Amino acid sequence: MSAGAARYPRLLLQSVGYEFRKRIQFRTGFFVREAINGTVEPLIMLFVFGALYASASAGTDGAPAVLGGWRYEEIIKYCAGLMVVRKLVFNNRGLELASEIFEGRITKYLVMPFRFFVLLQGRFVQYLVMQVLVAGLVWALGYAIAGDRWLVPVSFSAAAQAFTLVLLGSYCCFLLFFTINALAFWLDVVWSLLVMAWFVISFAGGGTIPVSQMPEPLFRVLSYGFPYWTITAPIELMMGRLGTEAFQRGLLLLLVQLGLLEALRRAVWRRGLAKYVGAGM
Amino acid sequence: MTHDGSDPAIEARGVRKVFETFERAPGLLGIVKNFVAREKVEITALDDVDLVVHPGETVGLIGANGAGKTTLVKVLTGIVPASSGVARLLGEDSFHLRDAEKRRLALVMGQKSQLWWDLPPIDSFQLLREIYSIDPADFDARLEQYTEMLDVKDRLKIQLRQLSLGQRMKMEIIGAFLHDPDVVFLDEPTIGLDLVSRETIRQFLVHLAETRGVTFVLTSHDLEDIEETCRRIVVLDAGRVAFDGDLATLSRQVTGKRAVEIHVDPHTQVDEARVATEIAPLGAEISGRTAGALTVVVDAERLAELVPVLFATLDVRDVSVERQPLEHLVKEIYRRSDRAGAGLRPARGRRQT
Repeated sequence: MSAGAARYPRLLLQSVGYEFRKRIQFRTGFFVREAINGTVEPLIMLFVFGALYASASAGTDGAPAVLGGWRYEEIIKYCAGLMVVRKLVFNNRGLELASEIFEGRITKYLVMPFRFFVLLQGRFVQYLVMQVLVAGLVWALGYAIAGDRWLVPVSFSAAAQAFTLVLLGSYCCFLLFFTINALAFWLDVVWSLLVMAWFVISFAGGGTIPVSQMPEPLFRVLSYGFPYWTITAPIELMMGRLGTEAFQRGLLLLLVQLGLLEALRRAVWRRGLAKYVGAGM
Repeated sequence: MTHDGSDPAIEARGVRKVFETFERAPGLLGIVKNFVAREKVEITALDDVDLVVHPGETVGLIGANGAGKTTLVKVLTGIVPASSGVARLLGEDSFHLRDAEKRRLALVMGQKSQLWWDLPPIDSFQLLREIYSIDPADFDARLEQYTEMLDVKDRLKIQLRQLSLGQRMKMEIIGAFLHDPDVVFLDEPTIGLDLVSRETIRQFLVHLAETRGVTFVLTSHDLEDIEETCRRIVVLDAGRVAFDGDLATLSRQVTGKRAVEIHVDPHTQVDEARVATEIAPLGAEISGRTAGALTVVVDAERLAELVPVLFATLDVRDVSVERQPLEHLVKEIYRRSDRAGAGLRPARGRRQT
């Protein structure tokens, strides 16, 4: 193992620790950003779906309505799953790369003997570790309150498969956000692009309604994208609506897209550095 | 000054750096015009710069704002690529430095923090230890020595943002030296600092230059920084090297000037032509004029002769004498350079130090 390769885990660990200290030093900020964030949307969804299903059930002589292959009880479990899963999906919050480029704060890293990307991977790992803990607490709290109406994975294997897909998908999101942030070497509209990207990922992943509940042609298209395998598919795996075969397909699709996003990230970063002017120095 | 014939630590040959930007027309019509078709303009920040710095040299880079000092530092450290020409650091193309060269390099930016704003300096230093693979024993010894020298030992565990400007800059400098670099670029390291902090930092730099043989390139608007820490001086103006020589030569030829500000009654007419005629034999000249003051520049050694002449010619209320300001200095270098040609400009890139 080369010295550089041996140094990488130590450096990653050090930067994860550094990011942790940064994140938890402000208690209110930590609570708002890390704990509450991502819990409101699924609650709103729950009420909207409640109204829709109530309206649909009115014309079925009391029989439970089925919309797009989903019963309301399943939607409740889906929303519960969404509350937990979305905590693990990396969003741009905390990446801060675009402002670091704009303000010239990356200058210091460019003269240091390491890959700057390691620090950002540290941010990703820190995010994930912290969010796994928060997601675990949210799940436990939800289960304590809602009992069996809350999402309980059908098996340990299903939970593990779902977790694997969410982690890979989350890394895809990280790579995509990194790439968009790196456009700050050229553009000053990066913030708008990031908001748009998050909206698209959220919609295409099933953050508004389950992707499999969408019209069939749209579902077919979206089921090739990493957002679907990051949000909807893992929840359906835990619910038992998808099985191992789907997991394998998702794994393959995520790995391919992860490779493509990594190649894109490298290309954009390399070209961006040649454009860098080191502002503010 | 001599060098041992070793390879240059820093080398620039015909370096040119052009930035592209867009010119924005003012007003409502201008906004529309900018939206439809922007006008691209090129700004030449560096133009045919030659500079060779050998190991152990201490170089002061001076020039007015926009002269190209910081851009030259950026090109030489590989932060931005040169548009043309060759920029090398420790024998390698500056823009493609490998980790081996980066380990021997440090950069201190007076206007940008190298350390992490949200953390106490000790945490940042620990991260730097990992980044530079510093031996723990060396790290502890250097940290102990440098914090002692810069008198910030008791500030290591306080969040960087809560330190004073002077303490922050001292921490920045410690961070830059922890990995024992061979080449250090300092861009305005004493900007905004009080006299005591400036002096402490200068002494620290001189100590490291003398004991460790570190190669320094220091940019500053403060001539005292340069005088106290550098033996060679490079003056940039409009992206070109206007002077490259040792400080003694520059001091003799240029910094030996003094600016004498004479305060007079603002309601009394001053016959500038007469004053100019009276002081001309002393080699002095009027360099500035306000309602109540006149500034005369003269060689330091003729100052004693000038003052009585000024008192005899003007109704003097007050007099102050200062070292010639940097802007005047740069102008003077150019004026002399134009007049005397290469007389004030030692052969660039072939210096013996």
